[in-house]
Amino acid sequence: MRNMRLTSEKRSVFSCFVAHSLLAAVLLTAMTGCGQGRLAAPTPDREAAAVLRQSLSSEGGDSGEGGAAAASTGTGWGTLTGRFIFVGTPPGAKQLVVDKDMAVCTAEGRKLFDQSLQVDEASGGLANVVVFARKAGRVKEREFSAEPLVFDQKACEFLAPVFAARVGQAIDVRNSDPIGHNTNVSGTSFNQLIPAGNGTLFTPASETGMPTMVTCNIHPWMKAYAVFRKDGYVAVSSSDGSFTIPDLPAGEEIEFQVWHERSTGPNGALAAEEPELDWSSKGRFTVTLTADETTDIGSIEIQASALGG
Amino acid sequence: MNRHSFFVCESLQRVMQNASPALACTLLLCGLLMSATGCGKTPAASFRPNMVEAAKQRLTPDQEAQVATILEAMFGTPDDPVALPETGLDVSKLRLAAGPVHSDIVGRKNGLFREHCSHCHGVTGDGMGPTAAFLNPYPRDYRPGWFKFKSTERADKPTHADLVTILNNGINGTSMPSFALLGEAKVDALVEYVKYLSMRGEAELSLMRYYFELDDEDEGKLPETREFLVEEILLPVAERWQEAEDAIIDVPEMPEVDLQESIALGKELFYGNKANCVKCHGVTGLGDGQANDYDDWNKVVKQWSDEVLSAHDASTSEMSREEKAEHRAWLARSDKALAGDALDPRTIQPRNLRQAIYRGGRRPLDLYYRIHAGINGAPMPAAAGTLTPDEIWHIVNYVRSLPYEYDGELGADRSMVARDRL
Ligand code: HEC
Ligand code: HEC
Repeated sequence: MRNMRLTSEKRSVFSCFVAHSLLAAVLLTAMTGCGQGRLAAPTPDREAAAVLRQSLSSEGGDSGEGGAAAASTGTGWGTLTGRFIFVGTPPGAKQLVVDKDMAVCTAEGRKLFDQSLQVDEASGGLANVVVFARKAGRVKEREFSAEPLVFDQKACEFLAPVFAARVGQAIDVRNSDPIGHNTNVSGTSFNQLIPAGNGTLFTPASETGMPTMVTCNIHPWMKAYAVFRKDGYVAVSSSDGSFTIPDLPAGEEIEFQVWHERSTGPNGALAAEEPELDWSSKGRFTVTLTADETTDIGSIEIQASALGG
Repeated sequence: MNRHSFFVCESLQRVMQNASPALACTLLLCGLLMSATGCGKTPAASFRPNMVEAAKQRLTPDQEAQVATILEAMFGTPDDPVALPETGLDVSKLRLAAGPVHSDIVGRKNGLFREHCSHCHGVTGDGMGPTAAFLNPYPRDYRPGWFKFKSTERADKPTHADLVTILNNGINGTSMPSFALLGEAKVDALVEYVKYLSMRGEAELSLMRYYFELDDEDEGKLPETREFLVEEILLPVAERWQEAEDAIIDVPEMPEVDLQESIALGKELFYGNKANCVKCHGVTGLGDGQANDYDDWNKVVKQWSDEVLSAHDASTSEMSREEKAEHRAWLARSDKALAGDALDPRTIQPRNLRQAIYRGGRRPLDLYYRIHAGINGAPMPAAAGTLTPDEIWHIVNYVRSLPYEYDGELGADRSMVARDRL
């Protein structure tokens, strides 16, 4: 009992303590709880989560349906080809800031420019568009090329701004400069020093999904993109805007994904007005190929606004 | 914003200590009123969703809620963690580390993560605890699943022992303290909890990114089947952690040459254009070479904020009225996510090698690992593949001599060396 009675001095110290610890708590709640400056976070549905957890932990729950990918019925192999045309006036390329190893990178007053938009002056062909099959019901067996593909850098630029390869294909990452570089393929295990005038082998072990960025950390203006696909059904449009993917399974609907570095679409998905190809806002179109034939989807017009104006 | 609240509170407390009880009461009342009208009672601790990724993937509120629900099913809450057997995690350890700070029935202290780590690493392990914005480097965000200082190959996860070492030693030269005094069992539990938060964060990223992969007939909803959630989302993440023990870098013996000779060979490599160390660490070794790059955590934020900025500038003249409204809403969301759910991106400086402060440990073996595999998530590249193990050992020896090298590339300017070493 005696303990409970506080002297007045003690009481005021006590009340002060209570007051400011309470205040601190209140303020903390007010500031962390409400977070006026922050986006409202979604609340998980407790009950649904509990039910879902049950089904996740029961071995062999409801994994029945879906099983194998849509059985493929067609036979033979076909080729897809097409062309990307830029509509509008391409903006001038930005000059890059080069502040390292100038003796090599900007020798004799050479300037380096952003390469993300390359339009053929004569035909309007749009280069460096990536097209790949999202899933193919059948995949034609093909050998990897015995010689590694070459991914080179010279005068502090990657020679291929957009590079495609099949998973498992060896790539010779070269450095044709008299200075050292390092090549960093984001999302993979590869970030290696490449000695001057030398090269090292890199074999991609998994798919990239959409193309992934390749950089040199020593020269941060250097930038390229790489895309790796297991089935190898991938192409990069050339300087006249054309692309070709051979050996595709014929007789089945194949959905293709289209990407461009500058695209304003989600994850770089490229928009086009092509209702006949079912071109979607995710930059996808669908085609069915005929065996031993080349299907030409013709010229696909890409509006300047789809590439950020 | 919550990272400032600690400090606001502390300074207010200081004001309060000198204030009269009457003033205190008034302030308190105000506070109470504010909070009553503002947001009501303290919510139970919850994991903060990765709003930057959500805005980047342009998820709808329904999709964000679906991700939150799936994650709660797979991982539970900060107070009540759950681990499916596929994760290989030990739930009893997680329980020691999770929850609010409290003692259980036998007097064992629980809530270790919130007691020792979350003010820096955040309850979610997103590296955004209340003190984070004031630290350089920022505390680690575990969610992308990248770790820097480990014995495994570059892209592999750290082993359990690697993380135990980090917790026991702290990270020299940063604010990350040593927790050796907690003892083995608690450190072990905390390591398990770091893995749990990291798996949760990686699963969240996979889920959010998967909406883009959906076909039209999925109607913007992820399948909630075991096949998809466990086999396609969870297992690939969990397996990487289990494989770490097999990914330890093979380190051959140091070659048997005279140490001075080895240092000389290492020096030649360091400054030459085969190993290229000089490009970033500088001719002085002070870390003043290539210094305007970002590490991967900061790069993600930097690149995305650049993208949002240029979207602000982009012409909307060709958009319909609805598209314009949608575009503006997305920009506003993105701005808010960048301001409230990301720390201002900072460049990373290559290490000053004259100071003998090594974050990943100072043993020759630690330096061998760093140079062989580079530093995952940081610009520092791997030397393996281009340099032989002997050459890496020579460089290790040279790096170890750098802090004591008075007549190196800095020349005879001894006083400068002395100053810069401090
Ligand atoms: C005072 C702030 C602070 C506290 C408290 C703190 N950390 Fe850290 N932690 C950091 C910082 C800063 C880094 C990043 C260092 C760097 O990037 O070099 C870090 C990095 C880490 C890493 C990553 C190591 C790597 O190899 O990448 C782990 C794991 C970690 N902390 C776990 C913990 C755990 C568990 C606790 C609580 C027991 C904790 N930390 C408490 C600041 C803190
Ligand atoms: C592309 C730039 C770059 C190159 C090239 C580079 N480094 Fe680094 N290095 C860095 C950065 C950045 C850090 C700091 C990383 C961090 O803090 O996470 C670093 C950190 C280090 C550390 C500190 C490790 C620790 O535990 O704190 C050492 C040692 C080191 N580098 C040695 C080397 C050597 C030796 C070479 C040549 C074989 C080299 N670096 C090449 C950028 C580079």
